[in-house]
Amino acid sequence: MIVIEFFLTLFVASIAAGALGSVVGIGGGLIVIPILTLFLGVDIHYAIGASIVSIIATSSGAAATYVKDRITNLRIGMFLETATTTGAIIGAAIAAYLSATILEAIFGTILIISLIPLIRKIGEEYPPKQQLKGLAEKLNLRGDYVERDGRKIEYDATNPGKGLAGMLAAGLISGLLGIGSGTFKVLSMDIVMKLPMKVSTTTSNFMIGVTAAASAGIYFARGDVNPLITAPVALGILIGASLGTRVLVSARNTAVRKIFALVLAASAIEMIIRALGF
Amino acid sequence: MNLKDPSSMNNILGIVLRAGVVLSGIIIAIGTTLFVANHSLDDTSAYLAYNPSLVPHGTFPVSLTGIAIGLGSLDPFSLIELGFLVLLATPVARVALSLFLFAAEKDRMFVYLTAAVLAILLFSILATPLIPLFNG
Repeated sequence: MIVIEFFLTLFVASIAAGALGSVVGIGGGLIVIPILTLFLGVDIHYAIGASIVSIIATSSGAAATYVKDRITNLRIGMFLETATTTGAIIGAAIAAYLSATILEAIFGTILIISLIPLIRKIGEEYPPKQQLKGLAEKLNLRGDYVERDGRKIEYDATNPGKGLAGMLAAGLISGLLGIGSGTFKVLSMDIVMKLPMKVSTTTSNFMIGVTAAASAGIYFARGDVNPLITAPVALGILIGASLGTRVLVSARNTAVRKIFALVLAASAIEMIIRALGF
Repeated sequence: MNLKDPSSMNNILGIVLRAGVVLSGIIIAIGTTLFVANHSLDDTSAYLAYNPSLVPHGTFPVSLTGIAIGLGSLDPFSLIELGFLVLLATPVARVALSLFLFAAEKDRMFVYLTAAVLAILLFSILATPLIPLFNG
C-alpha cells in the first residue's frame, strides 16, 4: 500500500474511533487495532502501540470539554486511579509470564457475563438515591453535574471498595494486554458504584489517559510507537473526540448506556475471536 | 481569577489541557505534511518493518536525543514523535494540576491520593523503560 492511501484509511477510521470512544469512555483500540492488523497488515506490536496513542488522544481530546462542563468526577477518578495505575504496572511486569490467549478468553467471557446486569438497568436514566456511608462518606465520593436543560443532577457513590477492586483488575488488563480497558472501568462505575452513566463514561475517559500514559513510556522506548501510524491515528482521534464530546453533553444517560452495551458486546466478541486464533 | 474557587481551577485545567492537545496536534500535522509532501507514493512496508530481535523494533527515533537531532534537520518522524510526547504529557499535567486543585480545596486526603497517582505515573513513564523486567 502507498503512504497516502494508508494515511487516509487510518485517519478516517480514527475519526470514528475518537467519536465513539469519547462518548462511551473507551480508548478506541477496539476500532484501531483490527483496522491495522486485519485490513492494513500491520504487526500486532505496532497496533498495540497505536492503541496506546489512540487512548491518550481520546482522553486528552475530550478532557478539556468534560472538565469545563464538570461532568467528570475528578475525586472519584483520582481515588480509583490509584488502583488502575498500580494494576497497570503489575500487569506490565508479569505480562511476559502469562499467555495472552488465555487472558483474552477469560476477559472476553467476563465482558459477556457483565452484559446481564447492564441490560437489566438499560432503561435507567438516573441511579436511585444512595446513602453515602463508610469509605465513600469519608472520601466524600459524591458529586453533581448540570444537564443541558439546566437540571442539576446529584449523586452519591456506593461500594467504593468493590469499585477499587474492579479498577485493579482493569489496570492489570491494561498492563497485560496493552488496551485501555475502558469497558471494565465504565462497568465498575455504572454497575458497582451506581454513578450516572455520563459520569461513568467521562470519568473513565479521564482515567484511561492516565492508565495508558503509565505504560506509554515502555512501549515508546521499545519502539512500538511507529510515527507512520501515530500521525493519522492521533490527528483523526483528536478530531473525532471533539465531535464526540458535543454528542455526549446533551445525550441522555439511557442512550449512552445502549451504545455502551453494543460496544461491550463487540469488544467481548473481538477478544474471544482473538483468543480462538482467527 | 481566584485560585481558591474550584470552578476557576477547573477552567485553568481545561485551558492547559486544550493547549496541550492543540500544540500536539499542530506538531503532528506539520510532521505529517512534511512527510506526505516527499513520500506520499512510497510503499508503506519499509516503514512498517518490525524487528522482534532488536530494541527498538523499528527504524525511527525513540530517545529524546534521537528526536532532538532529527528536529535539527526537520525530520518528519522526529516531529511526529515529539508531538506524541506532548500528547503523553497532557494526562500527566492533568494529574499534577489536580494536586493544586485539591490543595486549594484544602482536601488533604485527596492531595495524598493524587500525589500517589502522580508518583506511580512518573515512576512508570521515566523508570520502567530502564528496568529489564518490563521490557519482555
